[in-house]
Amino acid sequence: MFWFSKRNQQSSIAVRRIDQVVRLESYGPLQVQVMVDCLGAVCPRPQLLTMRALDHMNDGEVLELLVDNPASAEAIPAMAMGLGSTHLVTMRNEGSWRIYLRKGFGDDGH
Amino acid sequence: MANDVKTATIDAAGLRNGVWYSHKGNVYALGIVLLVALGSVWALAQDLRWIYLLVYVWFGLGYGIFLQYGRFCMASAVRDLFAVGVPRMAVGMLIAVMLFSLTAALVKVLGVSTFHPHPLGWHIIIGGAIFGFGIVFTGGCATGSLYKSGEGNLGSMLVVLSISFSQAIYVTLGGWLNKLVPASWTQSAVAKDMPAELTVGNGWFDQFTAGYIWDLTGGQLSDQLGFEGLFTGAFFGNALLGAIVPSLLLMIYLYQTAYRKGYQRRFKIETPRLGDHLRGIWSMVTASRTTAIAGLCLGLLAGAHMWATGELREHYGIFNFGEMLVDMGHTAGLSIQDTVFDPGYWYITTQEAQWGAWALDKAGVQMTDNIFFGLENGIPNPLINAPGWMSIGIILGAALLALVRHEFRWKVPSLETAMFAIIGGALMGLGARIALGCNIGAFFATVTNGDLSGWIFLAGMAAGAWVGVKGFNWWMEWRAGDDELAI
Repeated sequence: MFWFSKRNQQSSIAVRRIDQVVRLESYGPLQVQVMVDCLGAVCPRPQLLTMRALDHMNDGEVLELLVDNPASAEAIPAMAMGLGSTHLVTMRNEGSWRIYLRKGFGDDGH
Repeated sequence: MANDVKTATIDAAGLRNGVWYSHKGNVYALGIVLLVALGSVWALAQDLRWIYLLVYVWFGLGYGIFLQYGRFCMASAVRDLFAVGVPRMAVGMLIAVMLFSLTAALVKVLGVSTFHPHPLGWHIIIGGAIFGFGIVFTGGCATGSLYKSGEGNLGSMLVVLSISFSQAIYVTLGGWLNKLVPASWTQSAVAKDMPAELTVGNGWFDQFTAGYIWDLTGGQLSDQLGFEGLFTGAFFGNALLGAIVPSLLLMIYLYQTAYRKGYQRRFKIETPRLGDHLRGIWSMVTASRTTAIAGLCLGLLAGAHMWATGELREHYGIFNFGEMLVDMGHTAGLSIQDTVFDPGYWYITTQEAQWGAWALDKAGVQMTDNIFFGLENGIPNPLINAPGWMSIGIILGAALLALVRHEFRWKVPSLETAMFAIIGGALMGLGARIALGCNIGAFFATVTNGDLSGWIFLAGMAAGAWVGVKGFNWWMEWRAGDDELAI
């Protein structure tokens, strides 16, 4: 089946390195290394993708997760500690959330 | 506290600003309420007896609101536990079980309980496992998919469609599947002397139902333990021994395996005493606060629903909505005993099967030559399918609250998510039929009424979900291929 081919899958990569500074209103600039795009996905996908991405990151790196599933938006900050990370901030938009996690338990750097 | 979600959330779009009607979501939500209210008034103007159906609609609306509020998903309860070791949702679910058991006991004492015990057998654990495997891939149980549909999730709507049609097809399948049925089931089924139009000897589900399920027994703990008194039977036997004690034990187990370590590390407790453990368990309960509140309200609502339907049945002198439909002149789609599916409490999967069967019947497929539809549940027009309206109520209730909370959004699934929804939904449908219900009908509504078969369903569902999580992780690894990070 064509949509299971490797080539087709590459075009819909959900996790990628971005290494860019995002400016967050009333929080300040934040250097983000990895972006996880889970728009349209329901749990467990956001949880498992976040877990997997954090596994491949270094301590101190920041992950940006984009979700529109309310249950995930609430669950991920609550399980940040269990995933070996610190929840920095959640930016709330109409119908979607951007959640920032820093790998490791250091100071939240802010 | 750095991990407190509320304090670390920034309202980026100014969602809280402006008068209430400047937010379109509020206007749409009001529209939903007005629509349901006007529809109710219109139905009552036609015939006051539609109140029986409207009870399902309004309780559905209430379930939807609290399900969305608590993000109450039994699928994520078992899954988060296995996938990331977070007991939050599982604890909320157990709290809901304990509270619903109390309201259910009260309803039993009042003498209007609509509950029927499930037969006990291997089918429960097997069906539960298939169901549990499916929910990991669809991302929600049968109820979860309904309320997520209300949040605008098109993938979850696909799950609902898949569950509906797959169940309808499973219960009518015969042909080569007849060969897989044990001969003893066939014999026992044929010996039951069912009406010829049901063709009981043809169709695996007929033989499973009549040749296996009907030969099993089940019951409520109060009867099994021989508690004579109505009060002691309902509260002590069913609620306390059947639901509350097992829930508490499970909560202690969850604390021990998933919560204790992190809690002690955080509060630097070196040699924990009993008091520390109790505080730890309490902290685990309060960590799932919204789920627990939702559980509390759902428990009260589910009990009130049983009470309301029970009272109405008494008032109109009926045992089943089908009798009322006959009286009102709606005879199409009833079973040969003039009954329809009418559980009188929170139930999800059977009415979805009826939707699928009704559509297939309209397309010309023979759907009533079986026990499930032909003898028991019927395939009423969705417009007069009372429990079906409860499911629609759940979707509307969830949509209502999601709109108010700025959480509604049309979510289009990727091709992969859509495939998972359809395949997973078909597995959930199969599991639900074999186990005679989903995590609501076969677990939540049963354990809370002192029927221990629900705990067996939970065990099966947990085992299936565990395998499902392993499978899902394997699938993600395969997709990632050589690239370390890309998924």
